[in-house]
Formats: sequence, C-alpha cells, structure tokens
Amino acid sequence: MGDEGFGDITGNWDYGELPGNVRLGRECWLERKASFALFRSERNPGLILGDRVRVYTWTTFNVEPSGLVDVGNDSVLVGPVFMCAAQISIGQRVVISYNVTIADADFHPVDPEERMRDAIANSPAGDRSRRPAYVTRPVRIEDDVWIGIGAIVLKGVTIGRGARIGAGSVVTRDVAAGSVIAGNPAAVVSEAQP
Amino acid sequence: MNADMRLEHDWFPAPLPDNVVLGAGSWVYSSYAFRHFRSRQPVAVRIGCDTGIYHGTFFDVGPDGEVAIGRYCALVGAIISCNSRIVIGDYSLLAHEVVLADSSAAIPYDRPAVGSIARIKRGDAPATVTIGDNVWIGARAIILAGADIGAGSIVGAGAVVDFPVPPGSMVVGNPGRIVQRSPRSATS
Repeated sequence: MGDEGFGDITGNWDYGELPGNVRLGRECWLERKASFALFRSERNPGLILGDRVRVYTWTTFNVEPSGLVDVGNDSVLVGPVFMCAAQISIGQRVVISYNVTIADADFHPVDPEERMRDAIANSPAGDRSRRPAYVTRPVRIEDDVWIGIGAIVLKGVTIGRGARIGAGSVVTRDVAAGSVIAGNPAAVVSEAQP
Repeated sequence: MNADMRLEHDWFPAPLPDNVVLGAGSWVYSSYAFRHFRSRQPVAVRIGCDTGIYHGTFFDVGPDGEVAIGRYCALVGAIISCNSRIVIGDYSLLAHEVVLADSSAAIPYDRPAVGSIARIKRGDAPATVTIGDNVWIGARAIILAGADIGAGSIVGAGAVVDFPVPPGSMVVGNPGRIVQRSPRSATS
C-alpha cells in the first residue's frame, strides 16, 4: 500500500504494544495507534475488543484508571470518543458513526463552588488527589444498535437492542429496544416494530 | 498508482486516486484525505478551480460514490461519507467537523459490511446531497441524504439537515428548522 513508516495511522502497527490489560479478539483492525494514547485504565481487563472489531482513525479511548470499555464481536467504531470512568459496554454488531461521544460520568461537579475547587485541583500543576469525586453511571449499548453521526450518549443510558440513534441526537435517557430516536433533546421517532 | 498524481507538498506517501480531478489553483492538504476512498466511478471526485481542501477533510467514498465540488470553496475538515452523489456548488464554505453523508449511521466503505448494515446502492432514492452556490455551513452541522440546500443559505453550527431548503434560508437546530428566508432582504 506504500505506507511504510506510516503504520501507526494505517492499522499496520504491532498491537502487542497495547497495555497488558487490553484484551483483543481475533482479526481486529485498529487503524490509529494514538486512539489508545489516553487509555490509562488500571483494571484488568480495562478494555475488551471482541473478534473482528474495526476501530477507525477518529476513535479515542479516554479511559480513567477506574474505567472499563467492553466492545462485542463485529462492532464497527468509526468515530466514538469514549469518556469512561466506570463502565461502557457495547454489544455485538454495533455501528458507531463519526464524531460520537459516549460518557459514563459528567467528569466535573455540578455544584459551582465544588466545580471551582475541581478546576484548581485539575490544573496542570494542581493536586489531582484533591479533586471532588464525581458521579459515574455505566452506559450499556446492546446488540445491533446503530449510533448516528455526531450523537452524544450520556451517563447511565441503556440503549436497547436494535435501536437506531439519529444523527446529532443527545441521549440522556434509556432508549427502548427497536425504537428510533432523533433530535436534541432526543425524541422517539418510531416505536419498536412488532 | 499514478505518480503524476502526487501532491508536491504531501507528507503521506500515496498519489491521489486516478479518478480524482483537481482544478487549477486548488489545494488538497494530503492524499491522506483519500485513505478510505474506494470509488470506482470514472470521475469520482471533481474539485473545481481555486478551492481549498484543508487538514482533516476526508473523502470516504464508496465504490458507486461521486462527489462534485465547485470553485472558490473552502472545506476545513469536513467528512464526506457516501456511496451516492454529493454536489457542492461554487463559493461554499464548510466549517470544522461538518459531516456530509448519505446515511445517518455512515461508516467508511473500505471493508466488507458486517451483519445487516444497510449500504446505500446506486439508484436508491433519495440518497443524494446537494449544496448550492455560496452556502455557508457552520461547525459540526450534519447534512444527510435528502438535503438540497439552496444558493446563499446558511446552516447554523450543529444543525441537522435532511430536507430541501429554499435559496437564501437560514437553518438551525436538530431537527433542523428554517428560521429565516432571504436574510439579505430581511435586513433592508
């Protein structure tokens, strides 16, 4: 393909360089090594990619020490940014399109006083051990779900099997299996077909 | 591989695909923009004169896909993902992280489809996206199959458009809604 020296961005890098707590299935394709640069889970495993999972260049695994991302067989990750402090579970044959964000926490306090303390503790020279704890709620995306371009899925959401999430949707509540939702805030476009 | 199709300034070691036509005075940041390009059409991407295709723009075009872009356009990081036809007129501006696609859960076409992922086939209507002359598309807007955006229109940042928009309109929000027609006359 004439990409010698460019393997890090064309999927031709040594996946054995991934941390030991990354569990890879068979025949995965991971286009860009830097997708994993912010992976810092200390759990084991901290990342599971099932068989034949494809991870395109726009994907980012921003996983905190306490986080676990689990992706089922045959799923296609085009451009999700995983912001994970607890657990994000993706089923089998799930399609996640371009510019999607999935987060299992807000990552900063809602209360303004606490948020100011958080900003100080989180500054470049700050003492991050002083950051206030934040609330995490796992995200679960079941088998055969499609998540449209630019959608945002926030903490605690479960998206039921086969649901379709329209482009640009902002999803803050559970989505029933088989339903179609769209918009900001996301609204049901059609219920599950019997 | 056509060695003549190498960009002089390119950092990525690939030529432009043979079926890409680049007009005089136009600029493409890198052949990397075509990393997921698989179109087999005779002229798959036609870029007019004096158009800038800047860093972060991608042409994720499937085997049946075609893209035509006019002159004096600027694309500063749009992703174009389609297996049908996408047309952009002259003088149009596409901001950062805009996506133009023929399906709402678009994926690149460079590997076999898995499971039941619907692929747009040539002739399936209405998969085309048309952007007229002098259209300004704000950051993170998403333009989908069925969009036909009339000349002189403005699409607000983050708007989602999958329907016809008359010339001179302003469209905002998700779902997109037309909030103003002919902005020029509204200010007079």
